[in-house]
Amino acid sequence: MRHPPDERRGTTVPTVYQALLTRRYLTRRIMPLLSALAVALSTAMVLTTWSVMGGFLQVLLDSGRTFVGDVKIYWPSRGFPDYEDLLARLRADEDHVAAATPVIETFGFVSYPNDRVDGMLVYGIEPESYDAVTGYFGTLHWGPEGSPAPKDSNRADLRLAPLSALANALLHIGDMSPAALARALRMTWDDVLANGKSLSRLDYETGERRPAATLGIEASGLNIRQPGWYDVLPPQRTRPDGGVETIDQFLPLNGKITLNVLPIDEKGRAVETISRILPIANEFRTGNYEFDKRMLVVPLSLLQQMLHMDEAERRVSPGESPFEIEVDPETGEERFVRPEVELEPARVTTVLVRAARGVSAQTLRDRCEAIYREFADAHLDRAPPRPQIATWEELHKDFIGAVKKEIALVLVLFSFISVTAVFLVLAIFWSIVNEKTKDIGILRSLGAGRRGILWLWLRYGLCIGVIGSIVGGALSFLIVRNINPIHEWLGSALGITIWDPRVYYFSEIPNKVEPGAAAMVLLGGIVAATVGALIPALRAARLDPVRALRFE
Amino acid sequence: MSEFLSARAVSKTYRLGRVDVPVLREASISLRKGEWVAILGASGSGKSTLLHLLGGLDRPDRESRSAIVYEDRALSDMSARELDRYRAHNVGFIFQFYHLLPELNVIENVLVASMVARGRLGYRLRRRALRERASDLLGAMGLSHRLSHRPAELSGGERQRVAIARALMNEPDVLLADEPTGNLDHKTGQSILDGIAQLRRQRDQTILMVTHDPAVAARAGRVVHLRDGRVVEGRDERSRGAAGE
Repeated sequence: MRHPPDERRGTTVPTVYQALLTRRYLTRRIMPLLSALAVALSTAMVLTTWSVMGGFLQVLLDSGRTFVGDVKIYWPSRGFPDYEDLLARLRADEDHVAAATPVIETFGFVSYPNDRVDGMLVYGIEPESYDAVTGYFGTLHWGPEGSPAPKDSNRADLRLAPLSALANALLHIGDMSPAALARALRMTWDDVLANGKSLSRLDYETGERRPAATLGIEASGLNIRQPGWYDVLPPQRTRPDGGVETIDQFLPLNGKITLNVLPIDEKGRAVETISRILPIANEFRTGNYEFDKRMLVVPLSLLQQMLHMDEAERRVSPGESPFEIEVDPETGEERFVRPEVELEPARVTTVLVRAARGVSAQTLRDRCEAIYREFADAHLDRAPPRPQIATWEELHKDFIGAVKKEIALVLVLFSFISVTAVFLVLAIFWSIVNEKTKDIGILRSLGAGRRGILWLWLRYGLCIGVIGSIVGGALSFLIVRNINPIHEWLGSALGITIWDPRVYYFSEIPNKVEPGAAAMVLLGGIVAATVGALIPALRAARLDPVRALRFE
Repeated sequence: MSEFLSARAVSKTYRLGRVDVPVLREASISLRKGEWVAILGASGSGKSTLLHLLGGLDRPDRESRSAIVYEDRALSDMSARELDRYRAHNVGFIFQFYHLLPELNVIENVLVASMVARGRLGYRLRRRALRERASDLLGAMGLSHRLSHRPAELSGGERQRVAIARALMNEPDVLLADEPTGNLDHKTGQSILDGIAQLRRQRDQTILMVTHDPAVAARAGRVVHLRDGRVVEGRDERSRGAAGE
């Protein structure tokens, strides 16, 4: 038989005709485009779901760290004393600890200017060290703003105009003395930001600084969300006569709230209700809806006072009766027995710790446990023996675990749906192979082998998978990158609200494409298309060439 | 001249549902180098089947006596890959309905034969020479101005000429033509037969042509009659066939 040696390989290795025909079949038929579209839509669906759900989890974890740090040492209710020593020990371990801060966590009721009362999580903090652990300063919303948000074409954001303009509209000479009014009108956005950082605000009447609170931006309900910023609703209060009274207040300028907390004794019983009227210094926006809706921050020293957790004298040996009489050895006169007292140090419920660069939260937790053991040994009589020491993830492991399971479940469900893409490709390829049966017969008559025909169709499926996956990946990227504008458009145009921040914790839909997840999904799309093409390809390869040529 | 492609007592039975339909019954035929042989028979007589068996597209029934022999080697002894190579290099098919690939243009339809026959490297190394050969073949068929046209843009005669050029692309030993004029008008059919006759003369090409038209068969050097799957009579006009007309 006559065929040159190099040509003998012709029918056993991939040849050029597969590439040529794949190119032609792809560009001159509608069916492969439908297959690629099926792969693209499935890929985009899975990748978008994964990105949003994965982004949701990531933002959940990140936002947790934003206000809680990496590790929390927690002894609720009465808290623990000598925390300054614990902080010193923690801060000394610079290899593991970047920062540590004392906090009191408690529950309180807040009364707003419009007489609404909400239960709130109240944090007593030292602003500087709390910022070092949690990045608190970066969450303060009201402050100087140089440029408008992308969608704020009308420059409607309050922060873009001088605060004095707002103050002029709100403040009246009848409500304030001329001196107080002058002080208030001199306020700038920089001052508001500084107030938030120092947790204090100027008392306009006296000119002195007073402890103040910062509120979560969603807490008061007096701010309405616009794309990228918040507008202000003036508080309205119902009058006794049934009318409605509008109060000229902007919380960070002249607003006040009343904070009510319940100090408890060593047995956990509420002693009394302590109320304080507090000016609002600023509002914070963490992006975590729960924090932004339910949290109030006040100076640590103030909350220590209100909860009776500040430094105080404690009677050590009170004697049998408070009316016991003794004789003064110097004067010889009788007097009441003086009880022996010692100084009771201030307490906190929580110490938050931030890990040094490169140290994992788990490693830091282990170090914190060791450091706390040393601290407890040094304060045997007063330190709680076993406080809760946990990473933020561990504290919320049930919730995070549920989210992870939900993500896995959703992905499995969507992957099942995506399997339909395999069958869709299979059906379309079956139809294409049917349509191209004669081509297969022609190629066989020209000497194409079964393997060559098999590879032709597999290659075709592979190309459709690659094209579909790339298009799907790009589509998903566009959707994920613009998911919040798309959501806003759905809301404004069709009245559809899919993402409710009250349910999902975050004000905006997370939008993060993980490269690893994207690679897996794109590869899955390619494999799905190739698998979908496999059965029709096998059928094509097995076709009897004579029957294929006679196929009508 | 000795025979170099022959069918010896080959039978072929197709199964239609539950019924076995014998198409060829111990049919025998042999071709010598440079011969133009026509197989003449009515529709359903088995002539296309015989052509397919000789071209290695199909296999005869397994009977001890039956064999398709090419250059002293039985096709039944060849592996599937060897049979693919046989079709790619040793035979060239021309079909009644042209069987061009509709997505490819004229020159690609011719080149695809060498793409199939050669490995990727083999084709790439000779791409220019192969393209020139395809152009030359199409030029000889009067299609130089149609190289980038698609089959749908060609007339029936032009399509058949493209199919002939494709069949000749790998310089096969035998051209197997199945009713090459069956789908063409008389004038175009005659021009195709003229082209085949020219090939016979110029290249000493061995040609086996299947037809039901005695006038077409008369152009061949030798005519073999096939009836009900059996070769019933033959007319040896070797001298005329060798002369090409």
